[in-house]
Amino acid sequence: MRAAVPTAMDREARSVTVDSSLVIELANVTKIYPATRRPALDGVDVEIEKGEFVFLIGPSGSGKTTLMRLLLKEESPTKGTVTLGGRQLNKMSRWRVPALRRTIGCVFQDFRLLPNRTVRENVSFALEVIGKPRKTINRVVPEVLELVGLSGKSSRLPNELSGGEQQRVAIARAYVNRPLVLLADEPTGNLDPETSQEIMLLLERINRSGTTVMMATHANEIVDSMRRRVIELNMGKLVRDQSRGVYGVGR
Amino acid sequence: MRAGFVAREVWTGLRRNVTMTLAMILTTAISLVLLGAGILMAKQVDEMKNLYYSNVQVTIFLDQKITSVQKTTLVSELKSQPEIKNFSYETQDQAYKRFKKLFQQNPDIIKGTPKNYIPAAYHVELKNPERYKLVSKAFDGKPGVFKVTADAQVLDKLFTVLNGLRDGAIVVAIVQAVAALLLIANTIQIAAYTRRTETGIMRLVGASRWYVQFPFVVEAALAGLIGAVLAVGGLALTKVFFMDRTLRSLVNSGFLRPLHWHTIWAVTPILGGVGIVLGALAALLTLRLYVRL
Repeated sequence: MRAAVPTAMDREARSVTVDSSLVIELANVTKIYPATRRPALDGVDVEIEKGEFVFLIGPSGSGKTTLMRLLLKEESPTKGTVTLGGRQLNKMSRWRVPALRRTIGCVFQDFRLLPNRTVRENVSFALEVIGKPRKTINRVVPEVLELVGLSGKSSRLPNELSGGEQQRVAIARAYVNRPLVLLADEPTGNLDPETSQEIMLLLERINRSGTTVMMATHANEIVDSMRRRVIELNMGKLVRDQSRGVYGVGR
Repeated sequence: MRAGFVAREVWTGLRRNVTMTLAMILTTAISLVLLGAGILMAKQVDEMKNLYYSNVQVTIFLDQKITSVQKTTLVSELKSQPEIKNFSYETQDQAYKRFKKLFQQNPDIIKGTPKNYIPAAYHVELKNPERYKLVSKAFDGKPGVFKVTADAQVLDKLFTVLNGLRDGAIVVAIVQAVAALLLIANTIQIAAYTRRTETGIMRLVGASRWYVQFPFVVEAALAGLIGAVLAVGGLALTKVFFMDRTLRSLVNSGFLRPLHWHTIWAVTPILGGVGIVLGALAALLTLRLYVRL
């Protein structure tokens, strides 16, 4: 007998078949934090396809971080729907969140490495804690360290590395499980321009492998030189969505 | 779940705040020693009860002027009482003879007691000696009965005291267990805080909630287990130095039952289980209620 009310599995199945080329979809998303009156995000519509490279720009407090937190389901929207990789996040139950996060890689301004673990251990950690077998870890981790150019420093501790190298470790950790989406929240914020360029090259290489990259940034030179899609937020509103855009200083 | 990963996490966790870990282990140990002592005392009291009460008899002394009809009624009632295992009749002559033998060192007492002061009696053996009161009540005041006595009133007082001690130990054990629980909760909160970078990354890369929490639970359960081991050690020391040495004369005289090693081993799994469950439960509750992992 078939129940009249669609089950969670039905919804899941249907949402997967909507449009497989769309990786991220925000429809009329509003987020109001309990303590504030002004929405952190205000009726935002964004669609991002698989393999895109997107800059997320806007002044501090414009809602960039909130948008990323919504994608990770660290927060739920007050209104609107958020979809990632075909999964509807609004109605996702708590125990499904880990599975969602395994499809997302995250990089931050402050690297967030474990100080008492070596480079190799920091990267393996991400696989260990999701229960990957040791054999797989031993095979995959050297590969990804090679990709970020740290093969020779895999036994170093984070405080023995430069900022740029530390960020490479963080990127390796975010990418080691081959995520669908890589979220980078001001990944070059603590780095000098030259090192930032290297990090951008690395992110571009990861993007070329098919991973969708969304990067929140204040670095106008980087945005201007890359000429990729730019989404600009201001006071929680989407004010610009431009393919091959520039940062637009003094616009 | 990868055993190596959990083992490493637990080890660093326990090592990172040694003082709290020690406090956690010691409170658990004290609580479990008291619990173990309570259980052992309960066993001791049970054994003593069996031994002491098995010798308890109810004696129904008969009136001098009892009629033969009253006697027949009494005998049929004794036979129909379900609590009575068997009974024997002692005539006044037999009773007086026994009395004289009992006090042969004190001829004055014998001289001062006329034969008719020593009544004939039924000596009653009971199926369950602890329920002697049922029988003595049933026959007290019956026609032809002079008096019913049971030599168990003293025992009742003794066991009231022993049961009180046992209950006291268990109550203190429970209070200590609450203290242990709070301490474990506190330690786990601190452990979770000191490891927030790790757990934050674990959550971010999609480790399941159980995977994030498991090392903390194992940590607390392990502390509980170590506490239990210490508690068993404490009980063993109590046996060697207190029961076998200080109280040796009481044990040898048969007043106390000896505490055997196998009794302590029998309590060991109980203490271990309680220790582990106490730790794991406290950790799980803390992680669910107070820590966002």
